[in-house]
Amino acid sequence: MKNQETKKKDVIIVGTGIAGALVAKTLSDHVYHLKKKKMVHRASVGEKDSIQEIEILMLEAGLEAGVMLDSARSFETYEEYVQTFYSEEAKVPNSPYPNLRQAPSPDVLDIRQINPPFPDKTGYLVQYGPMPFASDAIRVGGGTTMHWLGTTPRMLPNDFRLKSEYNVAMDWPIEYNTLKPYYEMAENEIGVSGNVDEQEYPGIKNIHRYYGKGYNFPMEKVPQSYMDEKISAGLKGASVKLGNETIPLYFVPSPQGRNSTPNADYDRSGVIAAEKNKDGYQLSFADSNDASFRVEGAVWDPYQGERCEGNASCVPICPVQAKYNALKTLKKAVYKRDSKGYLRKTKSVEIEAQSVVYKLSVSKDNPELITKLHLRRYESEDKTNFEEIVKDTSDSIVVLAANAFENPKILLNSPYTVIENGVEVKRTVANRSDQVGRNLMDHMVMLTWGLFPEPIYSYRGPGSTTNISSFRDGDFRSDFSSWISPLDNWGWSWPAFSPGSDIAEFIGQGMFGKELREALTSRLTRQVLFHFEIEQLPNADNRVTISNEYLDIMGIPRPIVHYDIQEYEKKGMEQAKLVSDQMFEKLGIEDFTSYKSSDNNTFVYNNVRYSFNGAGHIVGTHRMGHDATDSVTNSYCKAWDHQNLYVVGAGSMTTLGTSNPTLTLAALTIRSVESMLNDLDAQFNSEKK
Amino acid sequence: MIIANIENVDDFYYDVFISISAASVGFEVNDLISTGLGETYYKHILNSVEEATFLEFLNTSKDILESSHSETQLNIAISENLIAHAGMKELLDKVITLWYLGTWDGFYVTTNAYTQGLAWKVMSAHPPGAKQPGFKSWNVKPV
Repeated sequence: MKNQETKKKDVIIVGTGIAGALVAKTLSDHVYHLKKKKMVHRASVGEKDSIQEIEILMLEAGLEAGVMLDSARSFETYEEYVQTFYSEEAKVPNSPYPNLRQAPSPDVLDIRQINPPFPDKTGYLVQYGPMPFASDAIRVGGGTTMHWLGTTPRMLPNDFRLKSEYNVAMDWPIEYNTLKPYYEMAENEIGVSGNVDEQEYPGIKNIHRYYGKGYNFPMEKVPQSYMDEKISAGLKGASVKLGNETIPLYFVPSPQGRNSTPNADYDRSGVIAAEKNKDGYQLSFADSNDASFRVEGAVWDPYQGERCEGNASCVPICPVQAKYNALKTLKKAVYKRDSKGYLRKTKSVEIEAQSVVYKLSVSKDNPELITKLHLRRYESEDKTNFEEIVKDTSDSIVVLAANAFENPKILLNSPYTVIENGVEVKRTVANRSDQVGRNLMDHMVMLTWGLFPEPIYSYRGPGSTTNISSFRDGDFRSDFSSWISPLDNWGWSWPAFSPGSDIAEFIGQGMFGKELREALTSRLTRQVLFHFEIEQLPNADNRVTISNEYLDIMGIPRPIVHYDIQEYEKKGMEQAKLVSDQMFEKLGIEDFTSYKSSDNNTFVYNNVRYSFNGAGHIVGTHRMGHDATDSVTNSYCKAWDHQNLYVVGAGSMTTLGTSNPTLTLAALTIRSVESMLNDLDAQFNSEKK
Repeated sequence: MIIANIENVDDFYYDVFISISAASVGFEVNDLISTGLGETYYKHILNSVEEATFLEFLNTSKDILESSHSETQLNIAISENLIAHAGMKELLDKVITLWYLGTWDGFYVTTNAYTQGLAWKVMSAHPPGAKQPGFKSWNVKPV
């Protein structure tokens, strides 16, 4: 065992995905001003000012190559990902990225039906079910944003108050309006393309009040696909029946983290700076005379990927990085512009890769203080021998940003004992509420597919460019799930493995030559896929646990998952299917949807079978809440139980809503930096006395 | 039908392979040659199936091509001599799949095989992640 005595770190961040990268970037844009005795943005520092950097260490479980951000090496690594993607037959989300034994990832190819009480142990997750958890994530530099789709709707105001509005689940500790400025910052950092005027949501009467008066997205909307336009033209002005209600269909161009054309009306500066006021630090866009949006191209070449090129492979990989991934933010953490405007690698942000954090320890005298962080550093992709390393964190802020499986796994693997009223009590870190690992949620993706009466030429453009937002909110939420319906541009490839399955089907019928070609043309140009992302409510029994019985090759516990779906969600899926049927009928779509008892995630409800997939929206396992009894952290992602521990990422979300969670987790993470700056301010000022 | 003489490849059976492939997938010989993968596929099959089976397939194909003088005759000949013959159909199906998807027994023969699949052409699209058609191309009907 080795105690590393290097330069003291002010902040140690576990994970280089979007949450960890945002913390690193936002913090490292600030420095301690010795004369002013406070944190200031580095852009406001004069040449003669004395400053002290915030020393940051980031730990990444994935390979070192994945966090190499200089042009030559990041290009080389990324090209390897692209080539791997080409050569993998099953082009699932994790397929381009290294599948490491030392830092395994959940993979959709490992999902099996479960026969309780026996768990399925095929993959990294030990799945007790009874329903298998259906989503993956990837442990690699940049995290799962490497293969996210990039859709970035904000949550709706009612999503934050399900308990008070609909008497289900739990209210968040914050309201939509609290998060609104941070949504703007997240949209700036990710680089969102969209058109505010065309957004239309149930319950939102004034879209400009919802987004903010005069607000524009950084870039103009990504053009909607030809298919989207055919479908929305076919359903123009149409409504569908939902129970006794008639609900109009809104076809909304999806805001997305994908480069298009910079919006000339965008008036935010690229500088997100903290100001200290009486309540502490507050982040906002710095005033600037030349406010405009600076497009972030590829990490290796800012002039590549400045605009989406229509590769249509957003999941699992955008070959030109026109789609945002967290490496872009990570690069801004590690490289800063000098006084001449040149990018220079900073010494104050270090990344150590191949470092698998597995445990935290607390001080014996003060269990509120996290004093040690334990990790195992493996030698290389091929070798599994590792070095045991302990980092002293007594004077550091620890930020867990390792995703909603890894964060609770680390916390649950961090036991300590305290004496309370003379009795020894066993605890695990940050878990006085017993909520660590609980409330695991995902959107249940029900797919319906069919043939449009005429060619609509799917398989082109970003994965999804339009969504139906009509069912994102409504009184029905007291009874069953809300949902969002993206129109997917990728034909039947997800539910039916097209085009391979179509070719197999037709040659199986003895077709060849021109007849085969014509049959394929007719089939493949008319494939439509509707997609229903059903909101799942928090459920304490849907949870991640650990056990010494199930360890990975490094001797670290694997996440054990207990997961099921409830009446509320089943009914939501039933209602969504009824809506789908009405849209198919109105459009004259020939229905090819088929749900089989052999599907991994399937159930029968009111005598009808439904099957679903995961959305990759792994949420809720270290939720924020109102106090130490109902949640793991406060609304700034700071653990209730510890003075120097933050837990950030999608696991922070109290409920799921109907939006893709990345934008919201980014906004929550940026907001958490304010609290970190308060802590650092206190620490720096006490040291300088 | 004419068995197209493929330049630079001194193997008559290769010419047969390309011509019968074109007739089976419903594309022109030039479409197949322009994938740049004809020889790779030919050699891959040579190494993957029993020589006698492939030879029988090629000899049958040669007879089919030489005895057919119209497209109708050609289709009938393929039906009768390849499709109706279980062993030959199995190989023909694999050949068709290879050209459309680039896979043999579920695996890509080379990295390029994925990007050169004919499937993307029939859908008027492109292999996801390659041959990108440019900004906004997805917004209009394919040309």
